[in-house]
Amino acid sequence: MNEPLNSINAKPFFLWKHLNKLRWLTLSVVFLMLILIPLLSIYQHYVAAQGYNHLSPSETLLYDSMEFISAPFVDDAEHDLDAIKGTTWSGQLFGVKLTDPLAVIGQVSAGFEVYWPFALTALLPVIATVIFGRFFCGWICPATFLYELNSNASVWLNKFGLKSGSRRFNRKFKYLVLAVGIGLSAFTGTVLFASVYPPAVLGRELYFSIALSGFGSGTLFFVLTLLFDSLVSKRGFCRYLCPGGALYSLLGRYRVFRIKRLVEQCNDCSKCNAVCEFGLNPMQDDFGGECNSCSACIAVCPKDAMTFTLAIADSKNQGPGHQSRTYRKNEKHPKSPTAKDPCINIQNID
Amino acid sequence: MKNTALAFIFVYIALVSTLSNAHHVLGRPSYSLNEDSNTPPSMAIETQIGEYFITYMVFPAFPKPNEPGRVNLYATRIDNGEVLAQPITFSVRDDSFFTETLGFGQAESSEQIGVQTIDDGVYRQGFLFRKKGNYIVRAYFEDGGEPYEIDFPLQVGESSPIGPIGATIGFIFFLLLSINIAQRKRIARSKVQQGQSVR
Repeated sequence: MNEPLNSINAKPFFLWKHLNKLRWLTLSVVFLMLILIPLLSIYQHYVAAQGYNHLSPSETLLYDSMEFISAPFVDDAEHDLDAIKGTTWSGQLFGVKLTDPLAVIGQVSAGFEVYWPFALTALLPVIATVIFGRFFCGWICPATFLYELNSNASVWLNKFGLKSGSRRFNRKFKYLVLAVGIGLSAFTGTVLFASVYPPAVLGRELYFSIALSGFGSGTLFFVLTLLFDSLVSKRGFCRYLCPGGALYSLLGRYRVFRIKRLVEQCNDCSKCNAVCEFGLNPMQDDFGGECNSCSACIAVCPKDAMTFTLAIADSKNQGPGHQSRTYRKNEKHPKSPTAKDPCINIQNID
Repeated sequence: MKNTALAFIFVYIALVSTLSNAHHVLGRPSYSLNEDSNTPPSMAIETQIGEYFITYMVFPAFPKPNEPGRVNLYATRIDNGEVLAQPITFSVRDDSFFTETLGFGQAESSEQIGVQTIDDGVYRQGFLFRKKGNYIVRAYFEDGGEPYEIDFPLQVGESSPIGPIGATIGFIFFLLLSINIAQRKRIARSKVQQGQSVR
């Protein structure tokens, strides 16, 4: 089953190379939806009130704008717009109710019972995670959109001498956060994850700020996570602290759809490692449960040596890429010391 | 490194353990008819606190300065539907950012607007605001030896489209987006260079 989704030794399917652009588009759309939904909600209220003549000029502008946007899709705005509600934490998309699995875990631990109508709304995300792994983190999470913008801005600021944090911690720490969160939820009877889970916080704060003209403490929390990422550890919150990331990593550990290195084409340039936001090591086939399938490594690879594959486990370290000098050297001198450890001296080659 | 990690964990736990000590209710407009006339829409909020189910309505939904308005409050027990019979004290305070959050502005931040007893199953409190702004109306009563405090938002006049926090956050977001779009090629190059030099 461990076969790339294109024939062996051939170039990866050409679309894989452009998936990263599609991912940015997806993240942007999700983020824009989180802004649009509260605006549509306000518009719904105005429609329900039949209160156009009571509105102030700015409210009238909002009414007209939302009417323009939604008119092609709905006949009866007051009711039809109910099809899109909520946030990525829990919401409704064209009538399908979807919930973040972490919300269900939180509810179950806080209430000591499974409320099945709610739990079942997490079924689709769970199935998708089992197949695609931690894709939510890379493709949907609205916080990722801001974290990646922030991460890129930090790279840019490095050029001006403003060094960003590059500390590394134990990745397993986030599992502890997940376990402590479950324990505290059970102890307090409150779904505490909603207070510290960035997509939930962001969705809620965006709704508050737009629909209700205010911010909660979640905004401060989110700004702190951005600062942590910038000053302490690149994408540190997602990598070391996010309880949702921990859950998705666990669920996606044996995912079916994963990225694989084509060792025959790899030249060990390490660009894949350099662009990996989660600090993984694709060049040595180390993706694990952490990979969010962002496909940045596929996009940056000059030799098209990264592709998607169907497998429930990563390949074991395949050694140096066959296009690398190290490999060629080993081929010529198989008894050289580097033959024992293919990972030595493979940096900055090419 | 340990200190930084510990500091972050401390902040993390502090935020997790933050408890709200008031029942702060955010409502949504509901456009039922006034029982006295068929004209104004109302802001309606339904919530539960302690033993009581509370319904709060503001007439009109968009109160304006120097125009009279009214709050209607219904309080019934959750278990048996019995109506609350204690007097309710209504007070109001300024909820604008600089007075409420930062503590600037008027020293006299809270003002009692009346104490109401139940009348035909409802507590009615009239109001008249001189200035537009964001206010919090607090309903306070005691029952069974327990104090109940419920805060409701009330906007008088047109709201400002964006506040200081919103402006700051909007600016940061705009800055991030601009840098990412304008410098995308340079960022992509730097990312690879910096990443390779670190590893």
